[in-house]
Amino acid sequence: MAKNSNGANKVGRSFGSMFKRLFVRDKSAVNILEEEALRTPGKTILLNLLHNKLAIIGFCGFVVIILFCFVGSAINPLTETYSEFTNANLRPGINYLKYPKDLGDKNIIKIVSGVSFSIALDDRGDLYIWGTECNLLQAGVSDPILKIPDEVKNARIVDIESGGAHIIARDDQGYFYAWGHYGHGQTRIPDDIMQQMYEENLSSIVKMAAMTRWTALLGDNGYVYLWGSLQSETIFNTGIYATTGVIDMAAGDNNMVLLHRDGTVSVVGQSGTEVITQVPPELQDGSVRVVSIAATNRNALALDDTGKLWLWGSTEYRLNNMPEIKGTPMEIAGGYKNLVVLTDAGEIIVWGSNELNQLKLPKSLSGPTTSAKHIFADYHQFYATDANGKILGAWGNKGYLWGSDQFGRDIFTRTMHGGKISLTVGIWAVIISTVIAIVVGLTSGYLGGWIDQGLMRLTDIFSALPFLPIVVTLNYVIGQSISSANRVNLLMILLGVLGWMGLARLIRAQLLLEREKDFVLAARSLGIKQRGIMLRHILPNVVNFVIVSVTLNYASFILSEAVFSFLGFGVPEPKPSWGNMLNSAMESAVIQFYWWRWIIPALFVVAAAFSINLVSDGLREAMDPKANER
Amino acid sequence: MFRYIVKRILILIPVIICISIILFAIGKAMPGDPVRAMLPPTLKPDLYEIAYANTYERLGLDKSLPEQYFRWIYNIILKGDLGWSTMNNRPVADAVQIPLRNTIMLNIFVNILYLAIALPVGIKMATKRGSLFDNAFQVGSLITWSVPTFFLALVLVFFFSVKLGWLPMGGMPDTYMLGAFDSFVQWVRFLILPVITLTIVSLAGALRYIRNAMIDALSQDYIRTARSKGLGEKVVIYSHALRNAMIPISTIIVSTLFSLFTGAALTESVFAYNGIGRLLLRAVYQRDTMLIVTMNLFFALISIISVLVSDVIYGLADPRIKLR
Repeated sequence: MAKNSNGANKVGRSFGSMFKRLFVRDKSAVNILEEEALRTPGKTILLNLLHNKLAIIGFCGFVVIILFCFVGSAINPLTETYSEFTNANLRPGINYLKYPKDLGDKNIIKIVSGVSFSIALDDRGDLYIWGTECNLLQAGVSDPILKIPDEVKNARIVDIESGGAHIIARDDQGYFYAWGHYGHGQTRIPDDIMQQMYEENLSSIVKMAAMTRWTALLGDNGYVYLWGSLQSETIFNTGIYATTGVIDMAAGDNNMVLLHRDGTVSVVGQSGTEVITQVPPELQDGSVRVVSIAATNRNALALDDTGKLWLWGSTEYRLNNMPEIKGTPMEIAGGYKNLVVLTDAGEIIVWGSNELNQLKLPKSLSGPTTSAKHIFADYHQFYATDANGKILGAWGNKGYLWGSDQFGRDIFTRTMHGGKISLTVGIWAVIISTVIAIVVGLTSGYLGGWIDQGLMRLTDIFSALPFLPIVVTLNYVIGQSISSANRVNLLMILLGVLGWMGLARLIRAQLLLEREKDFVLAARSLGIKQRGIMLRHILPNVVNFVIVSVTLNYASFILSEAVFSFLGFGVPEPKPSWGNMLNSAMESAVIQFYWWRWIIPALFVVAAAFSINLVSDGLREAMDPKANER
Repeated sequence: MFRYIVKRILILIPVIICISIILFAIGKAMPGDPVRAMLPPTLKPDLYEIAYANTYERLGLDKSLPEQYFRWIYNIILKGDLGWSTMNNRPVADAVQIPLRNTIMLNIFVNILYLAIALPVGIKMATKRGSLFDNAFQVGSLITWSVPTFFLALVLVFFFSVKLGWLPMGGMPDTYMLGAFDSFVQWVRFLILPVITLTIVSLAGALRYIRNAMIDALSQDYIRTARSKGLGEKVVIYSHALRNAMIPISTIIVSTLFSLFTGAALTESVFAYNGIGRLLLRAVYQRDTMLIVTMNLFFALISIISVLVSDVIYGLADPRIKLR
């Protein structure tokens, strides 16, 4: 009893003095009983809370989540509209560039990469592969890519190429090998093409090319043979088999640059694309003799015998803007969205997309002179070797810590930014609902009478409305006419406006309960005004309940956001939130094969809600005097 | 008592009217033309226009909004006409029938299972307060309380359907319930995962509630009296404490009983279970205005009645409370 009236008077005291009493040992207070008597309710609560291990764990956990989401997303910015379909659904792994370190004495002559792996060939015909297994293995349309087949290991390989998720190789006998993704039939030469090869007197394969959906072989007869998905066949069909005298190929997904024996260049593939329509005429009429070609998905680069570079194709990622190149170009290479030039001084110039750090050269490879003699670019991985075939360094896409989603977006970054939005939606919903609840509850409990009756009926109406269906319906009705940016705000408001009833009832009931207590009677008999009793004696006792309820509500609003975004009525794409990252988990293929796409964001929702619930549980126990006796 | 019930119902009438007006307004605000959705698009243009005008008049869309509202209420109460579901192209009452039956069947299992677990475990938690058993269940229920329902459902699907292949992923055909023993077994297989999901979710809240009610009862003076009389612990717990704890516990039993009808949209969606919650979500996706409005009204009524019944039971069970 003494504690209560004592505390009510001291509620206004500063936190500073409270902390001082908490943590600075007061020499004069040696008597335990004295100390007990001097504790304010706030201090008791804090002490109780600090003794509750679970609550401390919950608090620390929540702080970690907040730091991860808010500080993390500030450090690690996100381009919401970014997508990279070749890298869709990649499983967690950040070892795409981690080539084996024991390759030191090997003379690496070629390195090719797929979306999530790279494979190197040395001068003795041995292969070395590193990276992460492709997702397609689980879907049943792929052999394990990282496991080099035995017959390939036993053969003396002289050339390798890689598509998005399949690898092709040929040995010194002219045999052809392929493994990995076979969903488009890339790994097996179709019978009709075998027949053609036989009829056209193919004796050995000279060059190979592979992209995401197809494989192409260049025979010593000068013919190009191509197979794979139907789509690429129809794109490539025209003219490709008639083209003769080809000595080199460079490929993009929907087109292929061909270098002819006479030094001219032609491009086949999807008609109307810039890479086909904008081929420089000099390269076609024979006035320039091209010695080397490279291609990105939509651009092409050619190097002629005078050391001059020719660049044409699409304008995306400013790929058609060649940077200034000092020195003589020695070698050129093309990734999926990047072009690379190596000069005679060893300078590496790379331009194009930087979304996966493709332009971020390692220190040892940047600068006007390096010891690099060869460069290799494929998809989003880049390597450079010196004159002895030693790998000097690698750059580009190093992988995805938590995998990638169906648009090839990094789940790690999206979880960070998604958390920022989920936690913010929750906070605003709590603020809105708490303000409404306090206004309604206090008015109702303090004024009483018909206002009380009216407000309580209003509460009845709101609590009778079924929460999930009504939020979904209203979100749909109102969401039709507003921009997608505002739909996040709409969700906050809907959650807040439909989530205040419990707290309002609690405040009102508590107010009525406290009003009848003895200390109020005592205060009234001392002549304290009604307002004073309300503010200084009753309210502090209600505030406790509000705090507990606010934390509880916060957890449940975070869960609600996840639920509504999961159903597609919450935060709209491409803005990430924990809920809408889970949205695609409705598909059974995602549950089956791509566990990282739904387990990771869901675990964050659970962790956030759980840690908040631990804190609110601890708070409730700390504030409930009965809990100490129990 | 009787007077109390009558008074409560009288108070509830304006609440219900307000809710129906709100829902009517939401229905009117729904985008889409209800007449166009009802007519087959294959009709010839001239016939279409006549049919359009006829249906427009038949639905009373030419009348003023208040008139339409009263007409709607009148149809529901006196004719039992709940409106036309455009998604199913038949009356709402028909469209709701099978899903409602499925939901009730699902929830009967859930309620039985969950009460069978919640009561003994909750009581044991309270009597063995602070023990490992109590703490484990406390933390466990706090974790499940923090897990979104659909995630729990997905995890169960992942382990029991995808990894182990023991149970179907969902998508129960409606015919299973009616047939012979074989199809009954099939039907039960489809039910297991949704029942487990919903049971775990309901347990999370109920265990703590039952535990606290029991602890409150056990800390009362009459328990001390009973113990000092020398009564056995079993008698004290089950005869003295539980009886008193049942008063607050009865409220959650009533509210879960009424949730028999409301369905669980998320669980039903994840398991593609043809229940009423999933039907409502589908209705929103497909803009089926009448179905949405009617079912929301139905859910609201259920919730109002459930609160009323649990208040009355509270009053009946506890002689200390005088209902006026």
